[in-house]
Amino acid sequence: MKILEVKNLSVESKEDNKKILENISFSVAEKSIYVLVGPNGSGKSTLVYTLMGMPRFSVVSGKILFLGKDITNLAINKRAKMGLTLGFQDPAYFEGITCEAFLRAGNKNISLNEIKKYLTLVGLDPKKFLNREVSNSLSGGERKRIEFASVIATKPKLMILDEPDSGLDVMIYREFYNILENIKEETGATILLISHREELGAIANQAAFLDKGQIVSKGNFRKIMKDYCHASNRRKICPYAK
Amino acid sequence: MHLIEEKYAPMPNKLPKKFIDSAKKCELSAILKQGANASHLYVESNKTISLKKIYGLEISHQDSKEAVKIKLVVKKGVKIEKPILFCFGILGKTGKQKILSEIKLEEGAEAKIVSHCAFPQAQDVLHEMEAEIKLEKNSKLIYEDSHYHGEDYGANVVPHFKIFIGQGAFLKNELILNKGSIGKLEIIFEANLEENALCEVVSKIIGKGKGDDIEVFDKILLLGENSRSLTKFRGAIANQGKMFFKGVTEASAKGARGHIDCSEIIIGKALAESVPIIKVSHPEARITHEASIGKVNQKELETLMTRGLSEKEAIDFIVKGRIK
Repeated sequence: MKILEVKNLSVESKEDNKKILENISFSVAEKSIYVLVGPNGSGKSTLVYTLMGMPRFSVVSGKILFLGKDITNLAINKRAKMGLTLGFQDPAYFEGITCEAFLRAGNKNISLNEIKKYLTLVGLDPKKFLNREVSNSLSGGERKRIEFASVIATKPKLMILDEPDSGLDVMIYREFYNILENIKEETGATILLISHREELGAIANQAAFLDKGQIVSKGNFRKIMKDYCHASNRRKICPYAK
Repeated sequence: MHLIEEKYAPMPNKLPKKFIDSAKKCELSAILKQGANASHLYVESNKTISLKKIYGLEISHQDSKEAVKIKLVVKKGVKIEKPILFCFGILGKTGKQKILSEIKLEEGAEAKIVSHCAFPQAQDVLHEMEAEIKLEKNSKLIYEDSHYHGEDYGANVVPHFKIFIGQGAFLKNELILNKGSIGKLEIIFEANLEENALCEVVSKIIGKGKGDDIEVFDKILLLGENSRSLTKFRGAIANQGKMFFKGVTEASAKGARGHIDCSEIIIGKALAESVPIIKVSHPEARITHEASIGKVNQKELETLMTRGLSEKEAIDFIVKGRIK
């Protein structure tokens, strides 16, 4: 069953009316891991922000269907309440807010045990982090993990993760893929993410390759990476390719 | 005029329900659970309604039509474990209250005062306070002050603190106004620090009542060698209100260190102003400051909205975090 369907979506920036995405169509199957790949500036982040309903972009044409319902003109928080959420590439810091309060923000009914479980799931010791402020005293990696835990805490049906593995060193991003698998198993959620790393092949199902605001290929993740991250433009398109 | 020395538990020590409700709004339930046996002083308008002393702590008061005069002394070397609870307030719609307080911690004494000022029905209320706090050598005082001025009109509240922090002594003063309307608030806090003394003054204020008018003036004089201070102001102003913060820190002794950290959030139509002034007159002293005024951070807002919060809920969440 398709959890997300994007049909002929064209998007422009509200700031300068510049077209960023053109005629984008793809669908994500329930309980799968779907990856968006492509060079910098190809429109991947614009696509996920548009799916989430960020007001800085306007949909010129096309539709976004989530669980079969048209959400194209729905506000961000309404989409979130339906079970769609987004984890940011460079997450914001929150002065005076503890990890516990941050995880509760999106789910008032969550129990303390669940919060502890989710922190553990992303590799953080609840004893150390429950009362820790979500401030810039955290390392980048710790903040990213808290972002994942917060996304999970909303119990989403589809979680969108914008480059969750960027800025993580080799040891940590390998651990991160384990975390991602654990999250998927634990929550049963579908995951749509942006990534440049071939190592995702171990867990990813489908992929779409974006270039200059258009989807140029979609299908099996490994095949996409093989076809588009080859010899001449390998480094340009896949900065982390081996 | 003389101060009346009270005997132990001399007066009814029940706190009126309106005081309790107001204190609960300010998240003081845990303190209230200490019960009637904990040391406390409750004053409604210009009348003391309950007082409780414990060993090592002297509290006396003198009530008159114009003011209530209070004297509190923690004796030399005494460390009071449970917080001393102060409740000051006017429970009706109109009235005036004037508190003249003198607080002294003798050498090596330690205490925590949790003070709650309640004006829950305020329409035309004036609360004035002239407080003098003296901390003798190596003493330590934590003074937490929370206010509730009702939901609609707010009150006219004018507390002035004059503080002397002796050699090696420590004061942490925290003022919190984050519930309901404020009305007009004018705080003047002035502290003089001797050698190795330490002072942390924190104000967290949300002005969301229509036309709230808030002025906070924190002045720290680092007079002694190696004296240190932190002045922290966190404010949010909305609904055509005005918020003005002036933080002055002056250092005139070797090794003195001070920092002013001020951050204000402006929501919709309102006015926020901030003036940090730092003055150094010794080559081996150092003071720094940072100040910012701006709207709620867009990235923080969007993050919370992706978790299902409405824009208003997200702003409240961010502001309360900064100013809790």
